[in-house]
Amino acid sequence: MNISVNLLVGFAMGLNLIALGSNRLPSLIRAMSVQGVLLGIIPLLMEKELDWRVALVALATAIGKGVVIPGLLRRAMRAASIEREVDPFIGFVPSLLLGAAGTVAAVALAQGLPLLPEHAGSLLVPGALASVLTGFILLVGRSKAISQVCGYLILENGIYLFGLLLIKTTPLLVEAGVLLDVTVGVFVIGIIVDHIQRAFDSLDTRKLTALRE
Amino acid sequence: MAGGYTVNDLIRLLLHVAWWLLLAPLLPGIINRVKSWVAGRRGPPILQLYFDLARLWKKSVVMSTLASPAFIAGPAVAWVAVVGAAMLVPLGPAGALLHFRGDVLLMLYLLALARFATAWAAMETGSAFEGMGAAREVSYAILAEAAMVAAMLSLSIETGTVSLTTMLAPSAGAGAVLLAAGLFTVLLAENCRVPFDDPNTHLELTMIHEVMVLDHSGPPLAVILHGASVKLLLFSVLLVQAVLPMGELSPTAAPGVLLVGVFTVAVGVGLVESFLARFSFRRVPLLLTTAFLLCIFAVLVAWKGGAA
Amino acid sequence: MNPGTLLLASAASFVASIVAGNRYARAWLTLTLTGVFAGLSAALIVLLGTTDWEWRSTLIVGGQLVFLRLDGLSALFLVLVSVVGGAGAVYAHEYWSEDDYPTSAPRGRMWWSGLVLSMGLVLTIVNGLHFLIAWESFAICAYFLITLDRQRRAVRAAGWLYLAASHAGTVALFAFFASLAARTGSWELGPLRDHASLAPLFWLALFGFGVKAGVFPLHFWLPDAHANAPSHVSAVMSAVAIKMGIYGIVRFSGWLPMPAAAGWVVIALGATSALLGIAFAFAQDDVKRLLAYCSVENVGVIMIGLGGAMLAAAHGHASWGLLALSGALLHVWNHGAFKALLFFGAGSVLHATGTRTMSRLGGLWRTMPWTTGMFAIGAVAVSGLPPLNGFVSEWLVYLGLLDAVVSKGPAAWAAMPAIIMLAMAGALALASFTKAGALIFLGSPRTQAAAAAHESGRWMRLPMLTLAALCIALALVPVLFWPAVARAVNAWDTSWPPAAVPNSLTSIGRTQVALALAAVAATFLLLHKVRTNGLRRGLTWDCAYAAPTAHMQYSSGSFAGIVVGWFAWILRPQGIVRRPRGLLPLKAFRIGHNPETVLELVIGPVSRVIVQASRTASRLQHGNLQAYILYVIAALVALGSVAWLAGTP
Repeated sequence: MNISVNLLVGFAMGLNLIALGSNRLPSLIRAMSVQGVLLGIIPLLMEKELDWRVALVALATAIGKGVVIPGLLRRAMRAASIEREVDPFIGFVPSLLLGAAGTVAAVALAQGLPLLPEHAGSLLVPGALASVLTGFILLVGRSKAISQVCGYLILENGIYLFGLLLIKTTPLLVEAGVLLDVTVGVFVIGIIVDHIQRAFDSLDTRKLTALRE
Repeated sequence: MAGGYTVNDLIRLLLHVAWWLLLAPLLPGIINRVKSWVAGRRGPPILQLYFDLARLWKKSVVMSTLASPAFIAGPAVAWVAVVGAAMLVPLGPAGALLHFRGDVLLMLYLLALARFATAWAAMETGSAFEGMGAAREVSYAILAEAAMVAAMLSLSIETGTVSLTTMLAPSAGAGAVLLAAGLFTVLLAENCRVPFDDPNTHLELTMIHEVMVLDHSGPPLAVILHGASVKLLLFSVLLVQAVLPMGELSPTAAPGVLLVGVFTVAVGVGLVESFLARFSFRRVPLLLTTAFLLCIFAVLVAWKGGAA
Repeated sequence: MNPGTLLLASAASFVASIVAGNRYARAWLTLTLTGVFAGLSAALIVLLGTTDWEWRSTLIVGGQLVFLRLDGLSALFLVLVSVVGGAGAVYAHEYWSEDDYPTSAPRGRMWWSGLVLSMGLVLTIVNGLHFLIAWESFAICAYFLITLDRQRRAVRAAGWLYLAASHAGTVALFAFFASLAARTGSWELGPLRDHASLAPLFWLALFGFGVKAGVFPLHFWLPDAHANAPSHVSAVMSAVAIKMGIYGIVRFSGWLPMPAAAGWVVIALGATSALLGIAFAFAQDDVKRLLAYCSVENVGVIMIGLGGAMLAAAHGHASWGLLALSGALLHVWNHGAFKALLFFGAGSVLHATGTRTMSRLGGLWRTMPWTTGMFAIGAVAVSGLPPLNGFVSEWLVYLGLLDAVVSKGPAAWAAMPAIIMLAMAGALALASFTKAGALIFLGSPRTQAAAAAHESGRWMRLPMLTLAALCIALALVPVLFWPAVARAVNAWDTSWPPAAVPNSLTSIGRTQVALALAAVAATFLLLHKVRTNGLRRGLTWDCAYAAPTAHMQYSSGSFAGIVVGWFAWILRPQGIVRRPRGLLPLKAFRIGHNPETVLELVIGPVSRVIVQASRTASRLQHGNLQAYILYVIAALVALGSVAWLAGTP
């Protein structure tokens, strides 16, 4: 059980790096959505006997993160007719190197943390830390609103991974709440994107500084 | 080494020379075949490079008015370096022709010597295009070199040895997938294949390696093409042996496995070239960094695997 | 013969040559070479023998007895001083001759002898006070050599910068030797590893000697000084003088107890120097600046090896520490040989064309075949490529580090990044020297001056040939040089067992011979084949453009452009671009400048702030007597209150 979970988390960590290194928005969205689906499956593998509520939430997560949100983002992307992240604040190679260093640091750090013995060998904590870091790098380093939404979602994936540590004690309701938050957030951002697009003919969030007064 | 050369040694020498020098030109043929097969064309014969080499060897040479004799020496030195590097690479149970502690570094630096000689010869012509190619070649090689060294480090950690023969004998362990992906990317970059370079293009502005040899003709060009094919074979053999446990196979099975493995790599290169377009130059460092990171993660996995 | 007699003879001929240098060029050369050969023989006798040479005299200088010693380590460096000291003297005979420089040539000869003599003293003295005196006279001789051509403003500026940086280092060394003497009760130096309390003093030594060695980021004086000095001086500075800094670090890391972090810091400094030094080198357009930055890289390589050895000593792994240190020490020789060769080559180009800017050169192989060949040999060697000598020592360092990784101790975490950075530095060195060699010697001449170049005479060719031969010997029969290096390693850490020649080194030597022979044979075969097939000369293919000009060739900035972009975070390239405009653009240009980042962006602003602050403070000094009395009273009150506050518990 633990091995397959670790494998999935390992894949998710790889997807983080792909997300950091891709300059085309479709591949960024794809990396994010595949990561969402992978993480959605994890609760199914963690439980010995399958609770239907767990299965339901897992399914909702997978569909929400893997289909609905990416679909919305793709539509926003088409509406704004942008395909690429040009001229990011943090270049692709530096962000990739940062992400890789962060991943290594996360693994090293997790070994030093006083975790429960059942989580000691698992990649959950490093995976969570790495995803949060990736999200931050994307949020800070990208200029297009859609990339930032992706960064936000990857960050959320990291928080979700942290939540999985507590899956036995906390009901998945928490996660459902988080998911709801995010969905609302994405909707809001979708609307903002639309408005930025109309107002500035571009999705460059740098233009928003013009609104600071 | 002193004295006592037996018939066996002679056979071994012939075997190695035959493998590296005679088999190598087959690989570009296979790759081209795969590409034409995917594209639905008939394509050139699989032995095309042999014909090309034979033809070039007989031709006369046109040399730039600016070039010194080093223009001819460059390809010769590069060829010697690549073949020398190949002699250090083991061929399954047949072993390497020459092996000692730290030979892996000699191999890497011989490949670097080949790069130096090729770039030097390219600069002889004073052509802006060849300058461009040489600049790209030596610049991207920095990242490729880092990836290669990281890959070799992971093998060293995995096996606890620093000689190619023992490093390549077992499989790469848990990090095999990472290592294979990293090495394959480096293979594509170092052998000027798509998505780094397009060996078939005729637009000088977009080329790396190919543009460096624009002014070469006749026998020196033949030597360059042959050296390039040996280099491709060298990287394929490295990749196959790094991933598969060649040392644990029986001496009869190993050559077959090695052949099949090299063939698979060539087909893989062909498929990549069929389905991918050449990347823009701004993406090349990103891809090489990815290869480097894959190898670094292979190092970490090997480290952790050994500790556990 | 006794090394003592030889050293005495050597010192005597150097003193005589200082006197003779003012008037008699030939006599000076003869005396210098005599001194060099005597010193070299003394060093070789010690290196190949088993006993150190010691001389405890009754002579008192500055209240201290003169005490000299030549052991394996100092003898290793003395060999380098002698070889390059001699080669440079021969080179200067033509390069900086009386005919070209009637006033500075005699001065140059005298300071040269002084420099070589004081470096020899630095290596043999084992008394802290005397060491400082010798160190200072070495720095001053070097200053006067750098500023031989003092009519030029850039030379004077470089000289001042060197003097200032050098003294910043010397201050640290004063503190180091003084506290050493205070804590041990004697100025005499020697193995003190059992005095654990001395460990923190190592940081002072590392700073003081690090400035001289040009370790990044203390290298800021080096590019200016080495580029603006006359080329034979650049050669001795780059090949030998910075090695005195290395000598200091190696010497005192062997004699003093080490702080726990020392090995880690040294290896990290080494790896940083190696990678960033060569990245800076690649960006340069001035060939001598390129060579100077490349010295920073090579010092980095040496420091990586030394750091590895220090980690090994700390963790008790003699076997790989020995390999790393022997690689580092062999690299001291190798770098000395090929860097002096390259600077002589650059000097020869400068002599013939009057410029060091690579983008103004090109096509020199026709007019300067000897220099081209020698520079090419140096370029292959400095890039660490087989079959030349740079590879042998870098390979030993690598092997030591690889063994450290394989043994999976904590040192592996330092060794792994060091290996990767060393590999990248190697690839960058290759790129830098492809660029340098190609821009200077290949293609077509970019200016009139380059077209009208001429080969240098035999006095300049002879030292180049000697050094090239030395490079080849070090490369092909490294086994021959191993005993000397092993002896020096043994002098560093006497607890390590004396090392036999590693089998793999024998293999490397044989392989290098085979490779060299194969390369030469293949070249001749291919040339022969080309000749028999028929050779036609034609225009270079430029995309079917039939009238290419020399200015269409790749320039320094364009060749390095990609990598400069990657390292822009530290290189901070500046440039003015005027793009072509309009339908028929007439004028377009790009002027690039690669600043010395540490100097121009760190030390410059900081010192400007200090100067500003001092200016402000100097307003207090206005000559008004009453105000001065007020200062005295204010100072008294302040001191009194401090004393009072300190007195109350």
